[in-house]
Amino acid sequence: MSFKVTKPGLATTVQDLGRPGYFHLGIPLSGAMDQIALRTANLLVGNDEGAAGLEIVFMGPELIFARDALIAITGGEIPPKLDGQPQPTWTALPVKAGQTLSFDFLKAGARAYLAIEGGIDVPLVLGSRSTYALGTLGGFQGRKLQAGDELQLGPAGNGGRAGRSLPDSLRPVLPKEIRLRALPGQFWERITEQAQAQFFEDTWKVAPEADRIGYRFRGGRPLDFVPREPPFGAGSDPSNIVDGCYSYGSIQIPGGTEPIVLHRDAVSGGGYFMPATVISADMDLIAQLQPHVPVRFERVDMETALAARATHRADLERIRSALA
Amino acid sequence: MEFADTVNETANLKVLALSASISSNPIVGVRETIPTYRSLTLIYDARLVRGSVLAEELMRRARSDASYEPPPGRRFEFPVFYGGEHATDLEELAAIKNLSVDEVIGLHLAGEYRVYLIGFAPGFAYLGGLPEILHTPRLATPRQRIEAGAIGIGGRQSSINSVPGPSGWRFIGRTPYLLFNPLRARPFLLRAGDRIRFRRIDADEAAHLDERAGQSDFELVGTV
Repeated sequence: MSFKVTKPGLATTVQDLGRPGYFHLGIPLSGAMDQIALRTANLLVGNDEGAAGLEIVFMGPELIFARDALIAITGGEIPPKLDGQPQPTWTALPVKAGQTLSFDFLKAGARAYLAIEGGIDVPLVLGSRSTYALGTLGGFQGRKLQAGDELQLGPAGNGGRAGRSLPDSLRPVLPKEIRLRALPGQFWERITEQAQAQFFEDTWKVAPEADRIGYRFRGGRPLDFVPREPPFGAGSDPSNIVDGCYSYGSIQIPGGTEPIVLHRDAVSGGGYFMPATVISADMDLIAQLQPHVPVRFERVDMETALAARATHRADLERIRSALA
Repeated sequence: MEFADTVNETANLKVLALSASISSNPIVGVRETIPTYRSLTLIYDARLVRGSVLAEELMRRARSDASYEPPPGRRFEFPVFYGGEHATDLEELAAIKNLSVDEVIGLHLAGEYRVYLIGFAPGFAYLGGLPEILHTPRLATPRQRIEAGAIGIGGRQSSINSVPGPSGWRFIGRTPYLLFNPLRARPFLLRAGDRIRFRRIDADEAAHLDERAGQSDFELVGTV
């Protein structure tokens, strides 16, 4: 046993970078919703970027360490405490055996990432240690952590150094106004021109149903559909399609009312149309949105999306250089 | 890549053929192909291939008969216990159809099914080939938990549930064979294109098979 869970937090799960390559078998990506935050936490403690850590949502767990370790907490601001003493985030912190890690109330964002030197040692399932709770697979017994769980750590490397910190200039700042850039997709023409304009004009708010599966948004005007006969095999609602593959980031809008951006644990397919897709560079940002946060979707084209992805990669590269 | 916008066996064969073509003769940059009833989704690295180059290559393959090798659908027999606690909707279905329970079972057994799609949940199999008389709309309110192995009917399709979860389909029995078990050397039993027949078993045989099928070395032997 390397650490024990005394309080589980709200939905704390073991996550690494995910399990790509199994969509065709019905297995979603899983993995950290804020990928850069997990990568950074791992780099701070000298782990491989893809080592398994904990994804902490809104409310932190309480953990007791059974061995000395270097840890780092990144992502949304859920301030950590060691034996009750406040500690900095984005910084490698030394923990002694017997110490308790707990967390203060959420200050900003939605998800924090805890990396521990050596990484969390749970079995690899289909190449990943990520928890996919809906499929009861991966992570710690395929579920979120519970009080009493005892987790193992992998062997510590030698890359970590206590006190190492990511420079402020490289820490992501949550924008005051959230814009999620989106590419119109395959089923875009199913809604009227007026609805297409509305989708990007209206302000939407993150609904309470916002989790690893998807982020639902409310508050925009309902979208009108172009009239059509439902094809054989599709449901009768105008938003139904003959079941198709849902990709990471795709926006489905059941009934034309509430857009849902599918995130890392989304089912791999189904029968709702996906008129647009949030670009990959903005998916980490979604992980940090709290319910009720106002959001606008911003229309971009493929070139812009790819340029944004390159910028996102360059940001990660700067973090790597700073922590090398 | 869209082949049709309806549930259609011809389109599905073309989808599977293109997917097979890419598996056996990869396109640089394409990482994964995901067949559905009537479309093929591709996940690709846009740094390596994209846009019109990719589209033209896909169209070329889709048009060329030479690369059109529908994958050999393996044939499997799945034992099903039509009854007990997992047959939540069997009696109601019979009542809706004005048939006896045995007639409903007989009709379900008469079908030869094709796996159109693995998806929605890990290993979940959507089956085409349900006799038309058994086509039934989904329930208005989904049930919270349906067990793995449950045999469902939803609209024009049948299904084999792969992991426990909520579902609005109607369930008429259960197979002991687990479509998905991450502890097995081969976690998934089925793939798109496979053909399935069902065989009726009783509660005792189901219990016996449960024991065997739960083992991590369980393998399902099919015929081509």
